[in-house]
Amino acid sequence: MSEVPTIRVVDVHKRFGSLEVLKGVSFEVHRGNVVSMIGASGSGKSTLLRCINHLETPTTGDIFIEGESLCFRGDAAGSRAPRPLSEINRMRRDLGTVFQQFNLWPHMTVLGNVIEAPNRVRGLSRKAAAQLGGECLARVHLEDKALEYPARLSGGQQQRVAIARALAMQPKVMLFDEPTSSLDPELTDEVLGVMRELAADGTTMIVVTHEMGFAREVSDRVMFLHNGLIEEEGPPDQMFGAPKSERFRQFIAKYLY
Amino acid sequence: MSETLQQLLDISIFWEYRTVLLRGLAVNFYVFVCAAIVALSLGLGAALLRVSRRRPLRALGTLHVEIFRNAPDYVMVVWVHFVLPLLIGTLLHTRFELNPFVSAIIALGFVYSGYFAETFRAGIEAVPIGQIEAGRSCGMSDRHILWRIVLPQVVRRMLPESINQFISLFKATTIVSLIAVPDLMYQVSMITQQEMRPLPLYTGAALVYFAVILVASYALRAASERWRNKIFA
Amino acid sequence: MGNWQRLVWNQRDALFSGLVVTVEICLIAFACAIVGGLLLCLIRMYVRPLRPVAIVLIEFFRATPILVQLLWVNYAWPALFGWPDTFFTAAWVALALQSSGYLAETFRGGIEAIPRGHREAAYSVGMRPMLVFRRIILPQVALSTAPSIVNQFTVIVKSSTLVSVITVQDLMFESQRIVNIWYEPIEMLTATAAIYIIIVFLVSTAGKALSDMLRRRFGIAAA
Repeated sequence: MSEVPTIRVVDVHKRFGSLEVLKGVSFEVHRGNVVSMIGASGSGKSTLLRCINHLETPTTGDIFIEGESLCFRGDAAGSRAPRPLSEINRMRRDLGTVFQQFNLWPHMTVLGNVIEAPNRVRGLSRKAAAQLGGECLARVHLEDKALEYPARLSGGQQQRVAIARALAMQPKVMLFDEPTSSLDPELTDEVLGVMRELAADGTTMIVVTHEMGFAREVSDRVMFLHNGLIEEEGPPDQMFGAPKSERFRQFIAKYLY
Repeated sequence: MSETLQQLLDISIFWEYRTVLLRGLAVNFYVFVCAAIVALSLGLGAALLRVSRRRPLRALGTLHVEIFRNAPDYVMVVWVHFVLPLLIGTLLHTRFELNPFVSAIIALGFVYSGYFAETFRAGIEAVPIGQIEAGRSCGMSDRHILWRIVLPQVVRRMLPESINQFISLFKATTIVSLIAVPDLMYQVSMITQQEMRPLPLYTGAALVYFAVILVASYALRAASERWRNKIFA
Repeated sequence: MGNWQRLVWNQRDALFSGLVVTVEICLIAFACAIVGGLLLCLIRMYVRPLRPVAIVLIEFFRATPILVQLLWVNYAWPALFGWPDTFFTAAWVALALQSSGYLAETFRGGIEAIPRGHREAAYSVGMRPMLVFRRIILPQVALSTAPSIVNQFTVIVKSSTLVSVITVQDLMFESQRIVNIWYEPIEMLTATAAIYIIIVFLVSTAGKALSDMLRRRFGIAAA
C-alpha cells in the first residue's frame, strides 16, 4: 500500500504513575477501513482511543494523522517540540469522537449540539452550519428531534445525536469509545444500525466495543488487546473462525456463552 | 395595651413619609444590584482560580474564599469605609476618601464573592468531565469550552442556591445604613429620631422588608425552577 | 509595629471583655435558637391548628434582615410586650429569632429525609409514637443536621457584630470605642476583622470536619 495511512499509531506507551496501561502499541488504519478494538476491561483499549485523540498524552510514542505527527512539531532543523494545544485542537477536528456516556451538552438543543463546533470552531455561518447539522441528523434519522433538549431523548437517541455531532465536523476518522455500553440492550440496535450505515458509506472508523457480533460483521480488521499490547489481530472471519492465541479463545468463549 | 395596638396599627406615619421611605428602598436595590455585580465577577474569578491546574493560583482562590466567606459583613463594611481609604491615601500620599455608597458596594461585593465563588466552583465541578472532553474532541479551545459549555450550565445549576445568596445580600444591604447610606433603614432611624415613635416605624420597616423579600424569593424560585427543569429534567 | 502594640495589644483587656460578651450572646442565642427552631418545626409539622402561625413566624424570621429585627426587638418589643428590658437581652433575642427560623427549616428537612421504613419498622415492633420520635427520629435528625446547625452558629457570630449598634459592649463595640479615642482605625479595625474571621473560620472548619466524620462513620450526607 503506497497511500499514507489515515491513522498511524507508532509504539505508544502510556503510564499512569507506576501503572503501565499501554506497553507499546503500533498499527495503521487506512481510508475507508473499519477497525474494531476488543478486549477485557482494563486491557487498555479505551486508553488507546483516548491517546489517538490526545485526551491522554502518550508517555512515549506518537500518532500520525495522514502522516502528520499529533504529539510533536518537527522544524526544518529536524528537532522535535511538543505540539501546542492550539495545534492539537486544530488536528482534533479531523477526529470525530463518540463517547460511552454520550456527553451531549444539556443546555443546548439537539441541533445546537450538532452545529456548535462547525459554527464556532470551523467558522461556518450559522445558516451553513444548520444546513450541515440537518444533514448529519438525517444520517442518524433524528431530523425531527432537532429542537428538543437532550434530556428529553432516550439513551439511544442521545447517542445518535452524539454521532451526528461528531459527523458534523466532517472528520477523516470516527472514533467510537464503547458507544453502546451504557445503553439498555433494547436500545443498542438503533445505534449499531447507524454505525453499520456509516461503515457501508465508507467512513473510516475505529470502534472500541464489546459487541462481538458487530465487530465480526462490520469490521475489516479486529484487534484484540490484552494487558496493554495487541495480542492478536486480523480479519474478523479469521480471528473469530480460528483464534490463534489461548487468551483470545477464552475471551470470545465468555462472550459466546 | 389597646393604646399600643392602636399605635402599632397607625400606618399613617408611613404614608406621610412615603416618598422618603420609597427612595430609601430604592437605595437598597441600587446597592444590591451594584454589589451583586461585584460579587458575581469576583466570585467567578475566585472560582476559576480554585479549579485552576496551578497550585499557587488554587491557593490564592482558597485564601480569597476563606477570608471573605468567614468575614462578618458589618465588620467588612466598617473596615472598607474607615481603613481602606487611609491605606490607599498612604500609598498615594494624598488624602483619599470613599463615598459611603462605594464603600458599601465594595465591602458587600467582596464578602458575597466568597459565597458565590463556592457556588460557582460546585457548579463547575458538577459538569461531567466527558462533556469537556467532547468539546476538546471537536477541537474547541479551553476558553470556548468554558464560556459555551461549562458556564451556561453552571449558571443554570447554581440558580437555586444563588437565589438564597442574592436574598442574603439584599438583606445585608440594610447594614449600609450604619455608614450613613440613606437606605430605608437609615430613613426609618432618622424619622424615629424626629417623631419619637419607634413602634410603628420599626414594625413597618420589618414588614416592608419581609414583604419584599418573601415575594421576591417565591417569584425567583418559581421562575428558576421552570427554567432549570427544561434542561435537567 | 509600635502602633500595633499601642493601639491593639495594650487594649487587650477591653477587647477581651468585648469578646466575652460576644461569646455569651452567641451561645445564649444559639441555645435558644435550637430550642425555638425545634419547637417551630414540630408545631409546623405536627400541630395542625397552629401550622399557619408557625409558617408565618418561620418565614418572617427568615425573610427579615437581622439589623431590622434587632432594631425592631430593641425598640418595638418593649412597647408591645414590655420586654426585653436590657439591650443585652434584646441582642440575643433578635439573634435567636432569626436563627430559629432557619433551624426550623433545617430540622424539617432532616425529619422529612428519614425514610418512611424506619418509622414503620419501629411501629411494627410495637414502639409508641413518642418513643419512635425520641429514639428513632430525633437522633438521626440530630446527626444529619449537625453540620447545618454548626453552620448556623457561624451566622450568629457574624450577625452578632451588629449588636454594638444598640450599645451592647461586644467585641465590635469595644473596638469602635477604642478607635474613637485616637481616630487611628487601621490597626484596631484590621485586628478586629482578623479576630472575627479566625473565629468564624475555626467554627466552620469544625463543622466541615464534623460533617466528614458523620459521612464516614454513619454514611450520613449533611442535610
